[in-house]
Amino acid sequence: MNLLKKNNSQKDINLKHLTTSSTNSLPQKINPFNIRILTRDFFSNPLDTTLTVALIFISILGSVNILEWLIYKANWNIVTKNINLFIVGSYPKEYSWRPISWLLIILIISITTLYTNLFKSRRYLIWIIIIPLGIYLHSGGLGLKPLPTDIWGGLSLTLILTLSSGAIAFPLGILLALGKQSEITLVRFVCKIYIEVIRSLPLIAVLFFGQLLIPLFLPMEVEINRVSRAVLAFAIFAASYIAEDIRGGLQAIPKTQCEAAEALGLSKRQIFFQILLPQSIRTALPSLTNQAIGLLQNTSLMAILGLVELLGISRSLLANPEFIGLYLETYVWLAFIYWIICSIMSLLAKKLENELRINQAKE
Amino acid sequence: MFFSKKLILQFFSTIFITLVFFILLNNLIINLFRTDMMFDLGWLNQPSGFALSENSLPYNPTNSYLWTLLVGLSNSLKVIFFGLILSTIIGVIAGASRFSSNKLIRILSSYYVIVIRQIPLLLQLLFWYFVAFLNLSNTPLSILGNILTISNQGVRLLGIDISVEFSALLIGLTIFTGASIAEVVRGGINSVSIGQWEAFRSLGIKDSLGMKRIVIPQALPAILPGLTSQYLNLAKNSTLAIAVGYPDIYAISDTTITQTGRAIEGFTILLIIFLILNLIISFAMEVLNKIILSKVYKY
Repeated sequence: MNLLKKNNSQKDINLKHLTTSSTNSLPQKINPFNIRILTRDFFSNPLDTTLTVALIFISILGSVNILEWLIYKANWNIVTKNINLFIVGSYPKEYSWRPISWLLIILIISITTLYTNLFKSRRYLIWIIIIPLGIYLHSGGLGLKPLPTDIWGGLSLTLILTLSSGAIAFPLGILLALGKQSEITLVRFVCKIYIEVIRSLPLIAVLFFGQLLIPLFLPMEVEINRVSRAVLAFAIFAASYIAEDIRGGLQAIPKTQCEAAEALGLSKRQIFFQILLPQSIRTALPSLTNQAIGLLQNTSLMAILGLVELLGISRSLLANPEFIGLYLETYVWLAFIYWIICSIMSLLAKKLENELRINQAKE
Repeated sequence: MFFSKKLILQFFSTIFITLVFFILLNNLIINLFRTDMMFDLGWLNQPSGFALSENSLPYNPTNSYLWTLLVGLSNSLKVIFFGLILSTIIGVIAGASRFSSNKLIRILSSYYVIVIRQIPLLLQLLFWYFVAFLNLSNTPLSILGNILTISNQGVRLLGIDISVEFSALLIGLTIFTGASIAEVVRGGINSVSIGQWEAFRSLGIKDSLGMKRIVIPQALPAILPGLTSQYLNLAKNSTLAIAVGYPDIYAISDTTITQTGRAIEGFTILLIIFLILNLIISFAMEVLNKIILSKVYKY
C-alpha cells in the first residue's frame, strides 16, 4: 500500500515536471491575432462568447464614462488649488521647503535604488538615515527654526508615520520572534501574550490606546506629542505581525542547519544573526512587503483620530464650503497617490528580493 | 560553576521584566490617582443618555452603558456575520475565476484584486458611503420590481429596511475582504498539482465538474487557514464603522469613553470583547476544518 502511494506521488512529480517543461518549451512569442488562440481564450463555447461580448460591451461603456468624468465632468479645483495642503499640510509657506526637499530626497533615492547601482554598498545606511533626516527637517532645531508637530500634515506626515513606525516595528518584531522561542519561560510567555493580544485587536483600537492611554503609562513629567504617540501605536501594532512573519521564516529553516552550525563551533548569537535571521528575513520578505504596504495604507486611520495626514487633510478640505460635495474627485485623487506609493514600495521590495537572491547564489 | 549561565540569565530577565511591568503599573496608578479615575466599573450601570442611529436590540437613551455596549456588540456581530457570508461568496467566485477558460474573466478578476488591494480600506468605505450612497436621489430607485429599492435614505430588500450606513459598511468590507479571499482561494487551487487536472480531463470529466469534485476538495485544506485569518481581519476591520457613522462596538466604546472619561475600563472591555470574538471565530473555523478534512480524506 505504502509502495503504491509512493509510486503515485512519484508519478505526480513526473507529470508536473513534464507539464512545466512542456510549457517552457512553447514558443515564447505568441501572435496575439492568431485566430485559434483567440477562439480558445475568448470564444470556446456559446456561454464564453456571450460572456466575452457582454464584458467587452460593459468595459467599453464603463471606460468611456470614466474617461468622460475624469476629463470633462470632474471638478479638479479641490486638488489644484490645494496641492500644497496635500503635500505638506498646513506647514508654514516660508518653511515648506523643508518637508518638500525631504520628499524629493526620498524620490531621488527610490529612483537611484531602483534603476542605478549608485552607492550600492551604502544603500541600507542611506535608507536608515532618511528617517532621522525627515524628523529633523520637520521639527527643526540645530539651526532650523523649531516647529511643533501639530502643523505637520499631508503626504509628508503620512510618510513620516509609515517610515518611522516601520523602523521601530522591524527590530521590535525580530526581538519578539526571538523571545517567543526563548528558553526563558517568562520571556517566552510575555512575548506570546503580547503577540496574541495585539493581533486580536483592531488597529483603530490600538491607535486609540496610543492617543489616550500611552500618556497614562508614562511618568507625569514626560509629555509626548500626538505624532509620536501615533508612531508608537503603529509600531506596537505592526511589530506583532512582523514577529509572526519572521517566526514563519524561522520555522522554514531546516533544523540541520542549526546542528551544522553548532558542530562548527559557532556561538548561539552567531547562529542567530548570521544563519537564522538572514534566511528567515529572505523567506518572510513577501509577507513583510505586505505589512509595509498595509502600514502605509493604515496610516489613513489617523484621520479618524484627528491627525491631518493625506486622508485627514482631505476630510477637513471637504468640510470647507468652497469644495463641498467634491467627494469623488478627492477620493480618486487620494487613491491615485496611495496607488503610486504602494507601487514604488512593491518595486523596491522586488529589487531587494532579487538582490538577496543574487547574494544567496554567490554564497 | 555553581549556577549555570542559563539560570543566571533566567533570573535577571525575570527581574527586568517584572521591574518594567511595575514601573508602568506604578505610573498608571499615579496618573489615575491624580485625575481621580481609579479603576471602577460602577459607571456601567448609569444611563448612557445618547441616541443610536440604529439598534439590533431594543434600546433607548435611558438604558445603562452596559446595555448600550451590548447593543453595539450586536450591531458589530450583524455586520460581521453578513460580511463573512457575502465576502466568502465574492472571494470564491473571484478566486475561481482566475482559472476560467475565458481569458477576459481571468484578466478582470486579477484586476479586481490588484485595484482593491492598492487602496486603503478606510478610503473605500468613505467612497461607498459619501459617493455611492449619499449621492443617490431622494426618490427610491426600484431594481427587479419591488425586491430591492435603493435611495439615499436607505435600502429596502424584500420589505426589510437597511440603513445607508450599514449598507455602505457591508459593501465596503465585503468587496475588500472578497479580494483577499480571492487570493487565498487562488493559492489553494494552485496548490493542487496539474496532474490532477490532466487526469480528470483525460477521463472526459468537464472542467466545471472536475473543479467541484476533484480540485476544490483537495484545495480546501490549503484554503481554510488563510480563510480564517481573513475572517479575523474582517471582524477587526468592521471597527472602521465609526468612519461612516454606524454604531458598532468600537464607535460606542469611543463615545462612552469620551463621555465618562473611563479610558482604561473602556479599553479593557473592548480588549476582552475582541479576544472572545477572535477565539469564537478561530474555534468555529477549527471545527469546520476538522469536519472538512474528515470528509475529504474519507475516500
